[in-house]
Amino acid sequence: MRILRMLWSRVKGQAAQGREDEAFDVEVREHIAMLEERYTAQGMSARQAVKAARRQFGNITALKERQRAQRGILSPTEWWRDVRFGLRMLAKRPASNAAVVLALALGIGMNSAVFTFVNGILLRPPQGVSQSRKMIELWLKRPKKTGPQGYLPFNYPDYAYFRDHAKSVEGLLAFDGDGVDVIWNHAGSGQNLNVVAASGNFFSLLGVNAAMGRTLSVDDDRIDNPRQVVVLSYACWKDKMGADPGILGRTLMLDGEAFTVVGVAPAGFTGLMVATEPDMWAPLTAQEKFTHDKTRLTSRDDSWLIVAGKMHSAGDRKSVQAEMHVLAKQLGLAHPEEDEVPDAEVYAMTLMPGPFRGYVFAFTGLLMIVFVLVLLIACTNAASLLLARATGRAREMATRVALGAGPARLVRQMLVESLMLAGLAGGAGVAIAWAMSRLLMELKPGNLPIALEIPIDWRVVLFTVAVSVATGVVFGLAPALRASAAEPARVLREGSPTAGRKKARILNVLVAAQMAMCVVLLAGASLCVRSLMNANAIDPGFDTRHIALADLDPGSLGYTPEKVKDFYTRLLERVQRLPDVTSASYAASLPLGTSRQVTTAGKLLGNDPDAVPADVFRMEPRLLETMGIPLLRGRDLTAKEADGDKPDAVVINEYLAKRLWPGEDPLGKHLVLRGEKTRSEVVGVVKNGKYRTLGEGSVAAVFRGTLPPARTLVVRAAGDEREVLNEVRREVPAVDPLMTTTMVQTIGDFMALPLFPARATGWLLGVSGILAVVMTTIGLFGVIAYVVSQRTHEIGLRMALGARRADVLKLVIGQGLRLTGIGLAIGLCAALGAARLLAPVLYGIGANDPATMAAVAVGLAAIALTACYLPARKAMRVDPSVALRCE
Amino acid sequence: MGEGKSEVLQGTLDLMVLKTLYAMGPLHGFGIARRIEQVSDGVLDLNEGTVYTALLRLQQRGWIASKWGTSENNRRARFYSITRRGAEQLERETENWERVAGVMERVLKLERQG
Repeated sequence: MRILRMLWSRVKGQAAQGREDEAFDVEVREHIAMLEERYTAQGMSARQAVKAARRQFGNITALKERQRAQRGILSPTEWWRDVRFGLRMLAKRPASNAAVVLALALGIGMNSAVFTFVNGILLRPPQGVSQSRKMIELWLKRPKKTGPQGYLPFNYPDYAYFRDHAKSVEGLLAFDGDGVDVIWNHAGSGQNLNVVAASGNFFSLLGVNAAMGRTLSVDDDRIDNPRQVVVLSYACWKDKMGADPGILGRTLMLDGEAFTVVGVAPAGFTGLMVATEPDMWAPLTAQEKFTHDKTRLTSRDDSWLIVAGKMHSAGDRKSVQAEMHVLAKQLGLAHPEEDEVPDAEVYAMTLMPGPFRGYVFAFTGLLMIVFVLVLLIACTNAASLLLARATGRAREMATRVALGAGPARLVRQMLVESLMLAGLAGGAGVAIAWAMSRLLMELKPGNLPIALEIPIDWRVVLFTVAVSVATGVVFGLAPALRASAAEPARVLREGSPTAGRKKARILNVLVAAQMAMCVVLLAGASLCVRSLMNANAIDPGFDTRHIALADLDPGSLGYTPEKVKDFYTRLLERVQRLPDVTSASYAASLPLGTSRQVTTAGKLLGNDPDAVPADVFRMEPRLLETMGIPLLRGRDLTAKEADGDKPDAVVINEYLAKRLWPGEDPLGKHLVLRGEKTRSEVVGVVKNGKYRTLGEGSVAAVFRGTLPPARTLVVRAAGDEREVLNEVRREVPAVDPLMTTTMVQTIGDFMALPLFPARATGWLLGVSGILAVVMTTIGLFGVIAYVVSQRTHEIGLRMALGARRADVLKLVIGQGLRLTGIGLAIGLCAALGAARLLAPVLYGIGANDPATMAAVAVGLAAIALTACYLPARKAMRVDPSVALRCE
Repeated sequence: MGEGKSEVLQGTLDLMVLKTLYAMGPLHGFGIARRIEQVSDGVLDLNEGTVYTALLRLQQRGWIASKWGTSENNRRARFYSITRRGAEQLERETENWERVAGVMERVLKLERQG
């Protein structure tokens, strides 16, 4: 420990070198001055006193040099010598060093990959924004709620109040967090574009200048005179407008309204929200033209604006926060009719909205724990290898100590070697991180409408360097400290580098620890993979094959209800006539989809205390058949029932039937949906399904008619649904040239989203688990092989004294299995604890599933047995005469 | 190097400084040098600068601590004081020294035999 303390004080000393130099100068100057005073008092002349004082004190320059060297750890020439020596040592054993580097690189790379995401989403400020450090985000916090639900975006009047009154910022900008999909009609067809409504100061506050033309101005965004202008994103201009050089001044028809292009944003600027890539920005006050919402600029109930601001150049977040608290209070006083007064909270600006950062951190933190475990296993491998090798070098170390090398010197030499290994691994790790983050992106379901940019920037590199250094110190410290404790007299006398008992003990501890970590990882991985298999096998209550889906929204073209109905009727007729289509229908939302309508179903009109919470799915006739939802009793809705504007007939699932009318026949009974003034007759009962997540228990569901203009066309194909998909896409403009599908996907694409959590965790943990097993096997094999090589002499002696080969085998394998057993026992306990963290993402399997745990233990024991068998066989073949002679 | 003076044996300066601080309480480098000079009666040939090397070494091991203050004649000076761990170390070192000194004494007293 003393060496550690020395090392630490030297590292600190290095950091404070400059300050210490000055302090020491003062100390020396004062000391000499006092000496001079003393000599003068003894009667010397001033000149004599100066000379005598210098003589008495000694060589100041030499002393300072010595102090510097003693204080810090950096003496360039010595380090260079260590590095050169280390390089020679590394080159001597290329194979085992390459193995260590590879294992470490995988461990470091995985951690860097996760960090790349954390960086891309949470740490990196939005691209293209100047002075991003001065930018802040503002959120409203509801005092009575906790978690992300407690945070609100702004409504327009509140934003205007903050914008006009805040003095601690240069200005506050606002934009629509979701953006709106509009239909761009051109050349007789429709195309979807994403428009974000943004305040007039949006671009100027962010310091984003137009690549062409101009950006939005405050004049565009006047509430009394909104201008219908847009600024295109660079990608939209290039890909969707064909990089038209004459784009400025062109008029685009968006949802039937004319908007003029005034500029193109610079390349790379995609706004302030993670995972969004707007096609264009339009003034806030012109939003009604494409949201068709007349109250958004006046309503105090519609929270739709993300607010951000730029601090004054001398401002800090604290003072801004203080002012925002006050403004929030004033706003509360101005609206005494509202029962809760939200507070305003200030965050630094990154791509992830402030209030949600904590949750993303928690998730990535969990991932990081897994990968740190992998890295630790790699570290123990490297440490065991270096330790084993250090035995071979015991003579070298002893000789160096005998020649006068201090312990600190040896520790440094060993650390330089391990840091060099770690450095190489870190370099390879960055490459692995790059590849891994690409792979992780592949796991993302295609229908998740997000675009992530995850660059490897200086933060990632810095992180990797830090992890590499930490890694090098962690796995290099044990061998280094062992080396420093070399006892030259004993080692040089005994000649043979017999392993000290202490060293064998460290190795044993390392192997057991490695085995324990491996159990934890493997148990987690097995649970996830099994749950993934379960999830794939879960019956969602509908047929997940041969279905094509297309989202449509003629309402955004401002069509009347009659025109909408006409469009849908004609489309359905054409689609049903396609040769490969067996049936087709419409739904407002689908089970396991991202949007849902939640209500309660009871038996009484008005407030029914016994009402059951239920999910509502709006559908047209034949949807059940098309989706493959089995109808158990009764019948489907008729076209007349589905078209009515009140739900006079409904189909419910078994679970709701059992809850409302246990033991009775639900057909012909009446139920009341919350807020409805009339009863609905139950005409059919369908099998239970999964409606929100695959892992959920029983959920009540009601299927009813009355669809809104935005619908999903559901088509069942006789053969390949992909072909049907293309045909459907062609049919839409054939029915109405202005219309286009918002999104088309197969049922397989659709199911990727509900299956995503299990798939992602399954993949990540699966890969980590396999890595852990491979590394642990190598580690165990290496240590047992090393122990055998150390005990060759002893084994030879035993055999000479009559031990049989079987005894030797038992001896070696017994030692390996003992370590394995200890590791397994510790690991299983830890795994049982760790598995609880996984419980929320597991499907159909308990967190401490005994079969899984047993399989992991048996599997690892078998692998361990194999890892021990090879060296044991070698030990068995030891020829006593040879073993004894070579001593 | 004056006649009749002995060089300070490697490692012994640390012990002397520790003991001085233990006996005298907090002192600056000049004070330590004076005290050692006084006790050794001018027998030791000590470059006073080397005291600082010892002080730095002891500080790095955590055996002494230092604090800036003002000396008796109003000069800025760093005052060193012994820590608890330093006192323990002093005890160990003292024992060790006495043992070695005892052995040396006995060895040097050996009469010529035969």
